[in-house]
Amino acid sequence: MAGSLIKIDEEIVSSAVASVSLTGIDSTYDVYLLIMNNVSPANDNKDLYMQYIKASDSSTDSTANYDYATKGLLTSLSFQNNANTNQTQFTLQYARGSATNEQDNNLLYLFNTYSSAEYSFYTLEGSGLNFAGGLGSEQGGGAHSVAQSNSGVKFTWESGGNFASGTFTLYGLKK
Amino acid sequence: MATKEELQTQADAEIEAAKPLYALVNNERREFTDAEYAQAKVDLGNNKWNEQQFGYIEARQEAYGSIGDQLDMQYKDLVDGTTVWKDHIAKVKSDNPKPA
Repeated sequence: MAGSLIKIDEEIVSSAVASVSLTGIDSTYDVYLLIMNNVSPANDNKDLYMQYIKASDSSTDSTANYDYATKGLLTSLSFQNNANTNQTQFTLQYARGSATNEQDNNLLYLFNTYSSAEYSFYTLEGSGLNFAGGLGSEQGGGAHSVAQSNSGVKFTWESGGNFASGTFTLYGLKK
Repeated sequence: MATKEELQTQADAEIEAAKPLYALVNNERREFTDAEYAQAKVDLGNNKWNEQQFGYIEARQEAYGSIGDQLDMQYKDLVDGTTVWKDHIAKVKSDNPKPA
């Protein structure tokens, strides 16, 4: 259907930053789509993290309530299960690389994010090259086991590393 | 094996050394606020703890190799009377020990 994706926010990394935040999630839409294109860390071998931004005070939620289960489809291995409970963030991708063409690309659907009565969920489809140049395609999802209203998401790298590049676009799915 | 407090101290020092850090919010690149620096320290401390306590799981998964390769090792061991697969698994475990 034409006009069903409404752009809410877009952040383009043009110089090094340690975090990227997308905001503007509210009750206007039930489901949001977040697209990450050509995302890469400044340094090699970094995992990509995501946390929720609380609607109440715009602070980042780093309590240990992040559960996720994904499967990595890897050219270097047949597959790899990645599952964790009670973490302080979601891990979206693993061992990303900083060399030319080692970008990461992800599509996330965000559910119940703004609802204060339900847990927040996401599904993930991702594809990118890891620091060894091998294809890693992560698929799965996660839940934030707190009935809390969130107004955005924040992305960081393992060990506080910087983003070297990336375009992050948040859309609302028209009801 | 470092305590959680020792790892937090390391994390605090690393974030201090990495200053200034920048955030990209609302299409504006700005330096972290004091609250964001404080949170970055807590997050890094938590990550260091998780890596120390649970990092061996991911490391072992990668080092074991694919199930197909392992089955091939087991088949050859049966045919040849060798212990390549058992030795491989033992080495992966000893190279990536579970924290005490």
